[in-house]
Amino acid sequence: MEKIIEVSGLSYRYTEEHPWVLKDINFTVNKGEWLSIVGHNGSGKSTLAKCLNGLILPQRGIVRVGGYNTADEKTIWDVRRLVGMVFQNPDNQFVGATVQDDVAFGMENHGLPREEMIKRLSEALRLVKMDSFAKSEPHRLSGGQKQRVAIAGIVALQPLIIIMDEATSMLDPEGRKEIIQTVRALNKEHHLTVISITHDLEEAIHSDRLLVMNDGQIIREGQPRDIFKSTDLLKKIGLDLPFAIKLRNALRAKGVPLKDTALFQEELVDELWTFHSNM
Amino acid sequence: MDISFEHVTHVYSPKTPFEKRALDDVSIHIPSGSFTSIIGHTGSGKSTLVQHINGILKPSNGTISIGDFVIKANEKKQNLKALREKVGFVFQYPEHQLFEETIIKDVCFGPMNFGVSDSEATKRAEESLKLVGLPSSFWHRSPFDLSGGQMRRVAIAGVLAIRPQAIILDEPTAGLDPRGREEILSLFKDLHKNLNMTIIMVTHNMSDAANYSDQVIVMDGGKPLMADTPQNVFAQAERLRKVGLDIPESMEFLKMLTEKTGERRTITAFTLDETADAIIDILNGGKEHV
Repeated sequence: MEKIIEVSGLSYRYTEEHPWVLKDINFTVNKGEWLSIVGHNGSGKSTLAKCLNGLILPQRGIVRVGGYNTADEKTIWDVRRLVGMVFQNPDNQFVGATVQDDVAFGMENHGLPREEMIKRLSEALRLVKMDSFAKSEPHRLSGGQKQRVAIAGIVALQPLIIIMDEATSMLDPEGRKEIIQTVRALNKEHHLTVISITHDLEEAIHSDRLLVMNDGQIIREGQPRDIFKSTDLLKKIGLDLPFAIKLRNALRAKGVPLKDTALFQEELVDELWTFHSNM
Repeated sequence: MDISFEHVTHVYSPKTPFEKRALDDVSIHIPSGSFTSIIGHTGSGKSTLVQHINGILKPSNGTISIGDFVIKANEKKQNLKALREKVGFVFQYPEHQLFEETIIKDVCFGPMNFGVSDSEATKRAEESLKLVGLPSSFWHRSPFDLSGGQMRRVAIAGVLAIRPQAIILDEPTAGLDPRGREEILSLFKDLHKNLNMTIIMVTHNMSDAANYSDQVIVMDGGKPLMADTPQNVFAQAERLRKVGLDIPESMEFLKMLTEKTGERRTITAFTLDETADAIIDILNGGKEHV
């Protein structure tokens, strides 16, 4: 599989007096995959995300994005063209006076011709289902809608990778669903590579692969189904478990002979239903 | 200190093209010592509602009583400082308001603003930092070297040091990791239980509203749609869904299961333990319970 990001031996600290925030990080990201990075507050997730588009440069090791070394000044803008980032607070990333101005802002910065901008603008707004709001002002939008506009601004630049740094954590449940659905469609239908930094385990279980971070290191890497078998480890480092697993464990403790495989709620419902019909 | 709203209306930017009725004839009652959660879709009026309780906003119409304090529309400014000593407000992302050189100084800032002496403020700050569980080895360090969850606890200690009788929390766990969330919520559960503090929490998390509160107020379009126990509120899944709200995930799960087994009934269960028991009942042939 084509590697779109390669990180090797990455270490970083904010100042010399401070401890290392990232310690010898090694991993790769496959083109087109949905990778989630989980870990408690302060585990180094957001610092790592900022290394992936050259906002922060490694003090040790190398980060390559689409083959470009992020530490190479000559190609840093190529890196940033490949990687779009959605941040946590929807109000901090809205720069335009209207939705369409906001989406155009990034394209203007990249000096795209006007005809091309107009074409991409309407495409991007359609993809995030915000086309009917093109002339709306930001204060008329919900948090979820603002985040979708932020995503449209990124999509318009046609990147290969989108990084979401806790992009849903300030939204209400409905806004959260909107964003996940939008990004999932971009991932499945437009083959955009997605890296999602999140605390929302119900979201993380749907990803292709998971990285678990603790104290500046990657301590586990693999498919969600395998990682969530290590329930004790995840609890120890301050992470919660997905609801289906917590419920399954509670039922097993009460003597219901369930298997330890169900990860999604639907799977657990099916397993319980089979029990019910056989009784 | 009971809190009640009688026919309260709040209009933003009146007599302009941007006029917006954010609260529309709201009458609610929050009993002294209760834990009340306020839920509602973005823009439903939750924040506008709670900002009236310590006088940040004044009603356009109607009356609010907070213990002996009465705030009426069109009346001259009350002694809001005395009100704010009784009702603490923990804003969203309160850690953004930390500013002092040391943690202890930051926590002292609140009580000193209310005219408390240095030594008394320090005493209260130490007491509050103990309540939020921050070890004394941290107290003379800079608040900016703490983790997000710890910073938030320091900010909360700053409000507690004023010794309010009621405390308003606007999405107190937003942006925290699961352990941080759990810590903050159990802190308020303890304050509610042990110190009999009135807690008013604005939240988007239905499970938190279900598990921690005595009363849930559902806001929709500036009006309270329901105000009842969590059991009674969350039994009405359809009504909640119509206003863009969910039921707690425990009940969503039970709903999926009962749809499969063909039982048409609503089961209210909030904790994992209650949910597991309800499932065992269903497996045993759906004997009556709850």
